[in-house]
Amino acid sequence: MPARGTLVTATSDLEGVLAALPRARHRETSAYPIEGRFPSVALRPESPDGVARVLAAARDARAAVVPQGARTALTLGRPVSRYDVALDTTGLHRIVEYEPADMTVTVEAGVTLHALQARLAEEGQYLSVDPPPGDEVTIGGLLATARAGAWRGLLPGVRDLVLGITVATPEGTLVSSGGRVVKNVTGYDLHRLHTGALGSLGVIVSASFKVAPLPEATAMLALRCPDIQLAERAAFELRDRRLPLRALSLLDASTATTVGVETRAPATTVLAAFEGVPAVVARAERESRDVARRMRAAIEAVPPFTWSALRRRAALAGSEEQTVLVRLGVPPSRVASTLAAVGSGRLEAWAHVAAGCVYVRGASLTAATLLALQADAHAAGGFLQVEHAPAELRDIGDAGDLELTRTLKATFDPEGVLNPGRWGDDA
Amino acid sequence: MGAPRTHEVARGTLPAMSTSQPTLAVLVDELTRALGKSSVLARPEELIAYEYDATIERARPDIVVFPASTDDVATVLRLARKHGVPVVPRGSGTGLAGGAVPVQGGVLCVLTRMNRILEIDVRNRTATIEPGVINLQLQEAVATHGLTYAPDPSSQRVCTIGGNVATNAGGPHTLVHGSTVNHVLGMRVVLPDGRATFLGSRVPDAPGLDLRGLFVGSEGTLGIATEIVVRLVPRAEAVRTLLAIFASIEDASNAVTRVIASGVIPVALEMLDREIIRAVQHSRDVGYPEDAGAVLLVEVEGLRETVEQQSAQVIEALRAAGALDLRIASEAAERERLWEGRKSAIGAIGALAPNFYLLDGVVPRTRLPEVMRGVEELSARYGFRCGNVFHAGDGNLHPNVMFDSMEPGATERVLALGAEILRLCIEAGGAITGEHGVGLEKRSYMEWMFGADDLEAMSRIRLAFDEAGLFNPCKVLPSGHGCASAHSAELTHHLATPGVYV
Ligand SMILES: Cc1cc2nc3c(=O)[nH]c(=O)nc-3n(C[C@@H](O)[C@H](O)[C@@H](O)COP(=O)(O)OP(=O)(O)OC[C@H]3O[C@@H](n4cnc5c(N)ncnc54)[C@H](O)[C@@H]3O)c2cc1C
Ligand SMILES: Cc1cc2nc3c(=O)[nH]c(=O)nc-3n(C[C@H](O)[C@H](O)[C@H](O)COP(=O)(O)OP(=O)(O)OC[C@H]3O[C@@H](n4cnc5c(N)ncnc54)[C@H](O)[C@@H]3O)c2cc1C
Repeated sequence: MPARGTLVTATSDLEGVLAALPRARHRETSAYPIEGRFPSVALRPESPDGVARVLAAARDARAAVVPQGARTALTLGRPVSRYDVALDTTGLHRIVEYEPADMTVTVEAGVTLHALQARLAEEGQYLSVDPPPGDEVTIGGLLATARAGAWRGLLPGVRDLVLGITVATPEGTLVSSGGRVVKNVTGYDLHRLHTGALGSLGVIVSASFKVAPLPEATAMLALRCPDIQLAERAAFELRDRRLPLRALSLLDASTATTVGVETRAPATTVLAAFEGVPAVVARAERESRDVARRMRAAIEAVPPFTWSALRRRAALAGSEEQTVLVRLGVPPSRVASTLAAVGSGRLEAWAHVAAGCVYVRGASLTAATLLALQADAHAAGGFLQVEHAPAELRDIGDAGDLELTRTLKATFDPEGVLNPGRWGDDA
Repeated sequence: MGAPRTHEVARGTLPAMSTSQPTLAVLVDELTRALGKSSVLARPEELIAYEYDATIERARPDIVVFPASTDDVATVLRLARKHGVPVVPRGSGTGLAGGAVPVQGGVLCVLTRMNRILEIDVRNRTATIEPGVINLQLQEAVATHGLTYAPDPSSQRVCTIGGNVATNAGGPHTLVHGSTVNHVLGMRVVLPDGRATFLGSRVPDAPGLDLRGLFVGSEGTLGIATEIVVRLVPRAEAVRTLLAIFASIEDASNAVTRVIASGVIPVALEMLDREIIRAVQHSRDVGYPEDAGAVLLVEVEGLRETVEQQSAQVIEALRAAGALDLRIASEAAERERLWEGRKSAIGAIGALAPNFYLLDGVVPRTRLPEVMRGVEELSARYGFRCGNVFHAGDGNLHPNVMFDSMEPGATERVLALGAEILRLCIEAGGAITGEHGVGLEKRSYMEWMFGADDLEAMSRIRLAFDEAGLFNPCKVLPSGHGCASAHSAELTHHLATPGVYV
């Protein structure tokens, strides 16, 4: 493993990269480790143009750039094969334009979700996403990873909310698509292509979003059901009553305990969150009690902390290197059987029902288990994504049509400047 | 409703880059052997019906094929590619941008025979369908399960889901639910080189590049969708429709902003102006006051309690914005009646003038009042009547410019007016198309919105999917191999839609 400050790429001439920005924008490389590796150069541009200059210089030097925001998701995707330049996006911190009456906002990529939500809340609005691990993520990271939380499937996700984007390219240009209006079919939707691209096709420098009014009232409930079958029935009944759900999750006993709902296996907890006008939230609470009674479940209100704790479970802290975390996508009808298949051993498992999203987490997850889970997911028309794992397990995850992916990667980044290897493209 | 095509004038069949007759004969032969005789048309008299869509762009295909399966589609693409012949996908041909017109001739791949609903999965709220399924058929099939497919383009009786996917179609009810892209989970696609693949999944957020999101709205230029998994939503417990009458289009435009500012996003928010109201009332009495400057149709839905509170908020906002009169309906029959005027605008406008040009632009909704004033002033300056019936809630304008193409110079002036209106939209921070697409029609306007680097990135996408440049050529992007002639022809001959659109 290369030591701190060593040039990773033999052919790199990083002088040009360093010259791309004034000295004040240079950073200590020791602050940018990725899986034990350090870059040779770390830069924090403060304008979209600055990002473009760094990329152009990196391309000339044949150096590999890893853009990074809050640095919470750098293990997502295959490991980067080369790492010369850390491009810190947090210098792009402006909210460019916000028109509350249009319910649209344009922000730079280094703005944190927290800062954006705070600004929107002043006008009674918000961006309806709850990515793991929390609102510390940057807008660039939010888009590049397209990570979703418990609201997905019930509220629109980040892919549905992005209206336009500007990215810096390895050619040193700034490329835009879409726009600032809520309905627009002009040209190819490059903004959708960059959403979830893990920074492999360009560095997102700014984006426009559609925002929503903050709900007037919310309620969060836990239904502790005697077993998984009853929990599944309870969840589907809540859904089918068309109650204004914004989250509907199933938690195995160990996950429930971790987030503060005391239970013991085989009990399974349904976590439900409702939002809307006060009268409707009150009705949702009444109807939930009715469902709980019939499913022989104990029902209680839970604090917002329960949700934020669950959200953090979908991410790992630095000290948990050995923990494996995977996300499965299966049709909602297969969520309970997937949880049952994982079983309650030393693993934690939970699911967001509407989006068919099942998380499994634990240090004991082996390649064999992952392959078995993946085979079941495939049989149901779904997928498995490795969210966090030692490098040798990360080849297992699905990544869509690799032939098209590599063609697009070669088209937009022929020299392999951006996050090389994320799609297994830098062999 | 057949694809309306009432007024056809001054059309010119676009010059096709011709494929040699012997090559075509061989290709017809191979296609007939692979797909069967009844699935291949090649006699000129059979081809005429396929030379246009709902615009009056015309170009005759050399061959029309009707594949019945993904394999058939792959075969068509492979054979055509082998002979270097262009292929253009087509659904019902209701497109309003010339997307399904085979400008360089070649094979027109018509998907209407792939029209099976393969699965309705009530528990998972999805449907899996072939691309030729008609939008309304899907709506009706899922309605019996208490579900609905949200995108409802006004052409829904005729247009295909495959066409909706290609154009990322919208409709009155996409204000709250979002356009087609928000409802497509995954799809089987045959790429221009004949390779079949699956983009997306059966649930949201599949790992990897979001090629699904890129494909939806690519206007039939990246491949052919042959199987589509869509998301369904439950039908609302309660629905209420409000009709508000205003003295002017400006008042009505301000009301749009007020309604949204009240914290309510209605499921639909549609506007009709004076020209349209009069046209509608002329054709039949739907109870709109003829002296009104504009009417707004607002619909809210959800649980009873939500509808109760939100309609009170909407009413207050409408009154504060100067609504002269309000009509409210909750029962299906009454609601239908309020929608009647909106729906019959399609037929009514056709009676007003020999021809009309339907525009599709978008602006931020707070800019509606000034932009609508601008549209009015521009139309007056050019000396044309213009009626507006549109999706006001998302700022999606549809000015209908009325004219008589027999009048010398009128066509050119209408096109110039259309261009000025679209420029106005861009200056207000908007875009040149909200739902109909760029297609052939607006290629030359792309440069108004995008710089050279943006367009270069888009053409690279195109190349990554279609290196040979033979798949639905000369669409969306301003340049393309052998497209120069078609490009200039489009400006002289393209005249607006003969069909009527609401
Ligand atoms: C150790 C750790 C592991 C995590 N693992 C998981 C996990 O397994 N599952 C999970 O659900 N969530 C995980 N997260 C949470 C994370 O995915 C956030 O949800 C995500 O939004 C990251 O945002 P960020 O600003 O931190 O991006 P970063 O982590 O800084 O970047 C994420 C990716 O996006 C790229 N990127 C960043 N900014 C840009 C930009 N402007 N343009 C282009 N590309 C860019 C990076 O190069 C990188 O590939 C993890 C968090 C931690 C603390
Ligand atoms: C009266 C009227 C009202 C309308 N109202 C609306 C409206 O409210 N909202 C709206 O968005 N549009 C509206 N439109 C426009 C049109 O109906 C839509 O664009 C529709 O989605 C086109 O569907 P189609 O099956 O007719 O496609 P076509 O016109 O046959 O084709 C449209 C485009 O899709 C491509 N295509 C078709 N099938 C496939 C496939 N399987 N795979 C890949 N590409 C394919 C074609 O190549 C072409 O580029 C209206 C049109 C009319 C005439």
